[in-house]
Amino acid sequence: MKRSIMTALLVSAILMLSAGMVFAKTLKVGTMGPLTGPYAADGNDIKNGVLTAVEVVKANGGIPGFDDIEVMPQDTACEPRQAVATANKLINEEANGVVGAYCSSATLPASEVLDEESIIMITPASTNEKVTSRGLPYMFRMCGRDDDQGFIALKFMQEKLGAKSVYIVDDKTAYSQGLADGVEKMCEAAGIKVLGHEHVNQGDKDFSAILTKVKTSNPDVFYMSMQNSATGALMLIQAKRMGIKAARLAQDAVYHPQLMEIAKDAAEDVYLTFGYIDNNAPAYKEFYAKYQPKHGEPGAYSGYAYDSAMAYFKAVKAAGATDPEKVKAELMKLDYDGATKHIKFKPNGDSGSNYIIRKVENGKFINYWNPATGKLY
Amino acid sequence: MEYFFQQLINGITLGSVYALIALGYTMVYGIIQLINFAHGEFFAAGGYVGVIFMSYLLSQGAPAWVCLSGSLILAMAYCAMLAMAVEKVAYKPLRSSSRLSVLLSALGMSIFLQNGLMLTQGVYDRAYPTELTQGGFEFGTVMLSYMQLFIVSLTAFLLVALNFLVFKTRIGKAMRSTAQDKIMSALVGINSNRIISLTFAIGAGLAAAAGIMVGLYYGSVRYDMGFVPGIKAFAAAVLGGIGNITGAMIGGFIIGMVEIFAAGYISGEYKDVFAFLILIGVLYFRPSGIMGENVDDTRV
Repeated sequence: MKRSIMTALLVSAILMLSAGMVFAKTLKVGTMGPLTGPYAADGNDIKNGVLTAVEVVKANGGIPGFDDIEVMPQDTACEPRQAVATANKLINEEANGVVGAYCSSATLPASEVLDEESIIMITPASTNEKVTSRGLPYMFRMCGRDDDQGFIALKFMQEKLGAKSVYIVDDKTAYSQGLADGVEKMCEAAGIKVLGHEHVNQGDKDFSAILTKVKTSNPDVFYMSMQNSATGALMLIQAKRMGIKAARLAQDAVYHPQLMEIAKDAAEDVYLTFGYIDNNAPAYKEFYAKYQPKHGEPGAYSGYAYDSAMAYFKAVKAAGATDPEKVKAELMKLDYDGATKHIKFKPNGDSGSNYIIRKVENGKFINYWNPATGKLY
Repeated sequence: MEYFFQQLINGITLGSVYALIALGYTMVYGIIQLINFAHGEFFAAGGYVGVIFMSYLLSQGAPAWVCLSGSLILAMAYCAMLAMAVEKVAYKPLRSSSRLSVLLSALGMSIFLQNGLMLTQGVYDRAYPTELTQGGFEFGTVMLSYMQLFIVSLTAFLLVALNFLVFKTRIGKAMRSTAQDKIMSALVGINSNRIISLTFAIGAGLAAAAGIMVGLYYGSVRYDMGFVPGIKAFAAAVLGGIGNITGAMIGGFIIGMVEIFAAGYISGEYKDVFAFLILIGVLYFRPSGIMGENVDDTRV
């Protein structure tokens, strides 16, 4: 009798344990971005943004139906081949969703692989038009698009700077050259004279020859399209030393606290096109309060990565499952104020561009010019 | 004309940096016929030691010349010791094995050191203090910054000092004789192990100086900064005739100038193409490089 009770207890205990194991589910989110190599800073920003989102979700009681959220950071090194390899790795490790990648040249091939396996991918940072124009059903984008960004750059040159001529320099990546080519075409069409369009190599530190050219041709605007903020900083230091007087206009990849850390006063009065972020919005404040103590000042795309992960978690929570069709349907329904922008996806997966002109003033980025109103902030 | 002079100044500055790094490649090759792929990493390590020590000195309120010379000496000493350690661990045990194994060991060492730098110093760029590098002379529209002047004069000083060491002192004589024939020079009482070690140390010290100058001039250092200048400096050493010290200096200046003038007069996109075209052209007509001697391989 006694023994049978013991057996029954033991059996039920085992049953309960195993039942617990069956129902213990972990939500697996992969992040993709360059964790090594020249763009490592940006990849780490994305990873940290996602980690912050997980922390916030867990602190608010997690997601019902899942015991844990696991983040699987992957290093794409901004190389197409490695991006595909990491996408395959995430598939093998049964990731439910992916936030990434950073470079458009990594996001484009990786998304093809992930889409075949119906894994939802939200890129926080890849601005190349092709990301969402290929019709991949599970591809979403939290940031803006380069055609919009180039247009805002042009509008600023025309309306605010009254520029008659521009000199363009890019560093030959799918993103930076694509954007620079777009700006060149738009400038020519709008009657702004393109005095030159030069390219520098990845890993270059010395830009003196090209900057001497810029100085000699004396443009109204010096447009820099660099894949990396540190490279942009080096170019600004040398431009200042060279005595280039043109207004300096850069883009979203140069937008990073590193810019002022390295270039210091050489970065003063640089204009940049970047998405509008309201630093006083409650959602942004919540993000900042969680992010800053652990990871330092947020990088350009930390907030967008945070929003990408949050949007995914919200959709999974609403769907009550990780089934991609259901999650996609819920993502499409989202309509709320995120940390960086108002989140509402369009049918093609874009969430809209809201580029404005920012400026470096006293070592800080400030909102400078609003293209919608044509006025200063 | 002013455009030309500005580009000339740019070219000489860049050439000085390449020349300093190229010397390390050429000296090591001259003495043990090894292409030391880890050499670019000494350059990066020097840049880091420099920025760490310089920031410290500045925060203590030390005057500019103390900051510069102090961090220069410390970085050179550190990299010299690092190079001797690398030589002892990775190259010396393989000295009697085939040249390919030493080469692979060098490649491995390069990856090891670069990743070590990444893990200890992080993946972000590290900014150099800019207080020391402001200002310059203006001749019309031609700018000559104090930093450029500093780089060129320091390079000139180091080159003269090295030439004196190699051609006018007993140590230099021992180095040259070890390069010519290790066994014979050992027979006349030269400690060839110590001389080889010393050669590594001097080459790495010069690379460290270049690392600091690059950090100061361009504004920042990063763990992978040794790779591209390493390749260029290696090309410079080959162009000048690998194993020949004067050749490495000339090669460094040529590569630097060609790069700047190709970018300045043709296109920035093709500057490396022209630099390497010159290399191929010279090697086609003079396989041993500009200053290289025709030495038969039986010597080693």
